[in-house]
Amino acid sequence: MLNEKRIILMTKMASYEANEGKKNVAIGSYFRSDYIGWQVLKSIISATIAFVVVFGMYIFYDFEVFMADIYKMDLLEFAKHVLKIYLWTIGGYAVISYIVYTLRYSRAVRSLRVYYMSLRKLGDMYKQ
Amino acid sequence: MTTLLVAKQILMTLYSRYEVYITPLLKFLTALITLLLINSRIGYMDSIDKMTVVLIVALMCSFMPMNFIVVMAALFVMLHIYTFSLECALVVGVGFLLMFLLYLRFSPKDTLVVVLMPVCFILKIPYVVPLAMGLIGTPASMVSVGCGVIVYYMLHFVTQNGSAIAAITGDETAVKFSVAKFKFVVDGMLNNKQMAVTVMAFAITVLIVYLIRRLSIDYAWTIAMAAGAVVNLMILLVGDLMFDTNVSLFGVILGNIVAVFLTVVLQFFVFNVDYSRTEKVQFEDDEYYYYVKAVPKVVVSRAEKKVKQINSQRSKTVQRTRSGR
Repeated sequence: MLNEKRIILMTKMASYEANEGKKNVAIGSYFRSDYIGWQVLKSIISATIAFVVVFGMYIFYDFEVFMADIYKMDLLEFAKHVLKIYLWTIGGYAVISYIVYTLRYSRAVRSLRVYYMSLRKLGDMYKQ
Repeated sequence: MTTLLVAKQILMTLYSRYEVYITPLLKFLTALITLLLINSRIGYMDSIDKMTVVLIVALMCSFMPMNFIVVMAALFVMLHIYTFSLECALVVGVGFLLMFLLYLRFSPKDTLVVVLMPVCFILKIPYVVPLAMGLIGTPASMVSVGCGVIVYYMLHFVTQNGSAIAAITGDETAVKFSVAKFKFVVDGMLNNKQMAVTVMAFAITVLIVYLIRRLSIDYAWTIAMAAGAVVNLMILLVGDLMFDTNVSLFGVILGNIVAVFLTVVLQFFVFNVDYSRTEKVQFEDDEYYYYVKAVPKVVVSRAEKKVKQINSQRSKTVQRTRSGR
């Protein structure tokens, strides 16, 4: 015989699994530090690519001046200056990423806890 | 009002019944409108400025995830601008790349706003996007809306200054003129004060609308819409006074009124509640005290049509049998 409560619970769980749950299960399969660390690493790589592209644009923008000054300028000092800007940019972006992904992880874990509770409830329903 | 509510109910029923067909259709229409607008504005590449190509791509978009529309739109833009000028394509491409690398990987759900924003600008209803995103989005939508504004102004700059960019040629080395074109495009885009003011106005509007609609006050959504429109208007006008951005006073006022009207329609579908029946309850459990405010949704049940059969099938059969004899 059909159990209406069980069907409602299963429908809700199936809907969760198909939508939001899919992402959360993927997040929940990592340890907290692994997930956040991996995402921050990806952010650093993205920010590095972005920095290189913007730096390239900056050089191309003042290409003539840069080429004229390249033999006169202190290249080591210039590299230090660029590195300093790079580290500030990456640092700032990594901190933002860390905050975003920490929040995202804790939200996913909280959501999964509710899902597992429903799963347990469903198991109990079958035992009755 | 009851008629409207019944119509909404019918629409919702229809959507849930035919969702399999309606969702691809909506994706198809979004892709079609976006690509047609791109072709009409910056149609430099003849091979993709054709109805058949647009229809095929739009059809592909209807079966793919929503973000595929964004990818195709970006690809169309890049191809058109590349045909026009390599330097412009470089600047626009870097703009897209930075948006993707630094922001859109955080919130892929908001990506569509980056496409909808320029489309709404072209349709002369840009102010509706920050109001709508404040109502249905999160504070992070500020960045998506800002990215959308930047995309629009980048393309606007290319279309407005097409002849000036094309005129930068000469007999000297190709690199020199490439750099000159590149400089002209970068300067034009970075020194666009109208773009900066609009980005700021829209971002603040999203934030204000979001903060007010989250408040536990009656008519929070309506107040949020009105406050958002006023703040948007004020920032755009103050920006015009400070930076001389040439904003049309009449256009901004009318645009904001239209935006409020459109967001009222959105509110009707997304958040239609009856504040007159608000209930405030208070209770406790072992750990907390709860102060709950419950606002009922406005729902009307559709009138059920009862079909009364006057002549039953059986009597008809009997009659026929009798007449047959």
